[in-house]
Amino acid sequence: MKYILLMSGTRAGVEAYHAWPKQDIDAHMAVLHRISQDLTESGEFVGTQGLTEPKEAKVVRGEKNGLPVTDGIFPESKEFLLGYWIVDVANAERAYAIAGRISAVSLNIPIEVRQFATYEGKSR
Amino acid sequence: MKYILMMNGKKSDFEGYARWSKEDLQANVSFMRAFSKELKDSGVFVSTEGLGWPSEAKLVKAGKNGEPITDGVFPESKEFLAGYWIIDVESPEQAYKVAARASQAPGPGGKPGNMPIEVRPVLSGHADLGL
Repeated sequence: MKYILLMSGTRAGVEAYHAWPKQDIDAHMAVLHRISQDLTESGEFVGTQGLTEPKEAKVVRGEKNGLPVTDGIFPESKEFLLGYWIVDVANAERAYAIAGRISAVSLNIPIEVRQFATYEGKSR
Repeated sequence: MKYILMMNGKKSDFEGYARWSKEDLQANVSFMRAFSKELKDSGVFVSTEGLGWPSEAKLVKAGKNGEPITDGVFPESKEFLAGYWIIDVESPEQAYKVAARASQAPGPGGKPGNMPIEVRPVLSGHADLGL
């Protein structure tokens, strides 16, 4: 079963992270890299991706005169996706265990765990 | 440059979607399939996934001994990721165009849903963050 582990945070949270000393950020990245390696070795790794900063985010709606309507205004409270891991695991508990491990090394911020959807038994 | 296009919605939006007529749901899903095919044909497709319902979402933290502590309580205002596309395009403008097309996926009665799509560049490495 495939699960996605989502790490989210507000703009203020991202700015606080950027204020960390470089060595702390490097250490954090090293542990996250190790977790990905462990998942690859156990055959559970599907993918991981980090996103760029919230200030580069845009929201797009349908077109007006053939042009997309973009804006970059979000509420202060908006939780931005920071990055995700996709894992293929035997059960939900295993997905929670991996999420717990990521949370433990990331200031204990909560990780949202969601299963992938299927439509009429097929993946989209 | 890789971009992620995200569809988000509150629990109430998902509940509204579940009440759409079968034809409207089928029209929406057909659009999504054709849209993915179009992205593949134009060579910009990287991946797409739809997520399970918010009612199945859990928040996980680690306990004192590293054991996972799960919680399924979210604020009403929480925006849940419904699904995403990752595309590899030449410019942000091209990503916005693709997002605008996704935004026009048909809603109830076959009218364009015009739902907002969040567009973000994805990192190719942590150096992109300037850290």
